[in-house]
Amino acid sequence: MIIRCRELSKSYFRGSLEIPVLQGLELEIPEGGYYALMGPSGSGKTTLLNLIAGIDRPTGGSLEVCGFALNDLDDDELAGWRASHVGFIFQNYNLVPVLNAFENVELPLLLTDLSRAQRRERVMEALDLVNLTDRLGNYPRQLSGGQEQRVAIARAIVGDPELLVADEPTGSLDARNAEEVLALMERLNRDLGKTILMVTHDPKAAQHARVQVHLEKGVLERTVEVRK
Amino acid sequence: MLFLVLIPYLAWLAWAALRHPVPLSYNWRSLWQRKVGTISTAAAIAVVVGIFVVVLSLSQGISRAFVSSGREDQAVLIRPNSRTELGSTVDRDQARIIRFHPLVAQDDQGPLASAECFIVNLLEQREGGGANVAFRGMEPAGIRMRPQAKLVAGRWFRSGLSELVVPQRMVARFAGVELGKTLVLGGKEWRIVGIFEAGGSAFDSEIWTDVEDLLQAKKRTVYSSMMVRLASPERVVGLAQALEDDKRLKLEVHTERDYFAQQTEAGKPIQVLGNLITVILTIGAIFAAMNTMYAAVAGRTAEIGTLRAIGFRRREILASFQWEALMLCAVGGVVGACLALSFNGIQTATTNFDTFSDISFAFTITPRLMLKGVAFSILMGMLGGFPPAWRASRLPVAEAMKG
Repeated sequence: MIIRCRELSKSYFRGSLEIPVLQGLELEIPEGGYYALMGPSGSGKTTLLNLIAGIDRPTGGSLEVCGFALNDLDDDELAGWRASHVGFIFQNYNLVPVLNAFENVELPLLLTDLSRAQRRERVMEALDLVNLTDRLGNYPRQLSGGQEQRVAIARAIVGDPELLVADEPTGSLDARNAEEVLALMERLNRDLGKTILMVTHDPKAAQHARVQVHLEKGVLERTVEVRK
Repeated sequence: MLFLVLIPYLAWLAWAALRHPVPLSYNWRSLWQRKVGTISTAAAIAVVVGIFVVVLSLSQGISRAFVSSGREDQAVLIRPNSRTELGSTVDRDQARIIRFHPLVAQDDQGPLASAECFIVNLLEQREGGGANVAFRGMEPAGIRMRPQAKLVAGRWFRSGLSELVVPQRMVARFAGVELGKTLVLGGKEWRIVGIFEAGGSAFDSEIWTDVEDLLQAKKRTVYSSMMVRLASPERVVGLAQALEDDKRLKLEVHTERDYFAQQTEAGKPIQVLGNLITVILTIGAIFAAMNTMYAAVAGRTAEIGTLRAIGFRRREILASFQWEALMLCAVGGVVGACLALSFNGIQTATTNFDTFSDISFAFTITPRLMLKGVAFSILMGMLGGFPPAWRASRLPVAEAMKG
């Protein structure tokens, strides 16, 4: 299993008031899985995604991702872990506006010991995979929404992480671009064996996953296998 | 003390820029994304650095004027505890004994010793108002002992003729001191027979004449000081010892260089005022830089969250934003130092509170001063940039990503 959540809980505090978001959640995701996290707003999908991606910390339970017990890692270790094991895809792409496509994709590699030539090779491979080698000098403002998301996907995979987390990756795209992005993600899962965990509201997008996990008020309501 | 903290911090920043850096191009381009804020803050820093460099150049100019006036192998002899020639007296017997002292060097025209009279007198400035000007009466050896003084027009004064030579710098500032004009001093008319130039030294602020003519005009019988040259700088101590041992010669011996160097204090009031203004402006500039960087952090929260999510550590975010502040301030610093350069060589004057006379000097902007100005801007960048950079590095990742 690449992800193991045991009795996972997360609460936020407003003053002394505790607001539980996730409660005693049990979840296991195998390596190479493609899971869609679904549920209404406030059900805790994004919180669960953040916990699994190591950008937030649980208030209870244990969480093992990519062979690491995330509870045991300090802030710096967690950052290093994210750099090596997780790729992020966001709804609003979150590209750095002052860096061009090439530089945006190169960002995660700056945290490695790769030489400039090796970095360049990896960036070109990633951009080739998303079919954007002709746009490497373009800044985000010079790209369409679909192209921006593809650059973001290239950035997510350039470091060759085992796990890709995507928070509403098609939420800001039109139907055609959304379909392109989902097809690309499916290819990453099928051909490159990347484990993908995607938060989505969109049932069509969720159909691309192999398993749908439904959350309701911070509790795992049901798991549905969509396809083998 | 501050540098003990800042230098390791700068070294750490340099290390952070080399190891796993957020690219510096990211910071540089981000600065120019916010043109108005960047330019106005850089302009504020430029003004402060410009003032800082100009204030330093004032003291540099004063210091250069005084220090370049003195030689190590010449000594100024004055009455004990009189501090300057203005309050000193040397009687004629003392002058005669010293003139022929075995330690005093000689040239082909005789002993290199000059009994001198130093007074101040009010002259009218061209721009209006009066200013006290130093008059130095000297013996012929006095001119030979000040080789930095070169005639640029006319000739040197002659004894018994009430003649004056005036520094070229003074001609531009004071009325009626051109070659051939006359001045009234001690109820007598004095003719200006020469214009000289003394290489930016304190002598560029003195009018010279014959010592006996000046004593007569001022109805004085004693000299103010005695200037002597020795065979070597080491002999100054020997002369001081000899004078101490001789009861007739109760005089203090200062090397000419030390004597003038101590008068660099003349620049203190301007320096203090300048420093005060600089400190006030610096505080303002640090807050301007801080404000700009806080705005940058606030406007780029989602970017910071993304960088953190990708795997950049807190310290790398801290270093990145600190570098951005340093770039911002260094741009201002370089511009300010270059602006200050336009003051280089401009003549100005202040009052030497030791002699109550006018001392003219030039703003002297050296590459070293300009570098100091840029270093000062970097210091402002460090102080003003640290709190916002710290805040950026401490943003909770999940919340920051929302923007």
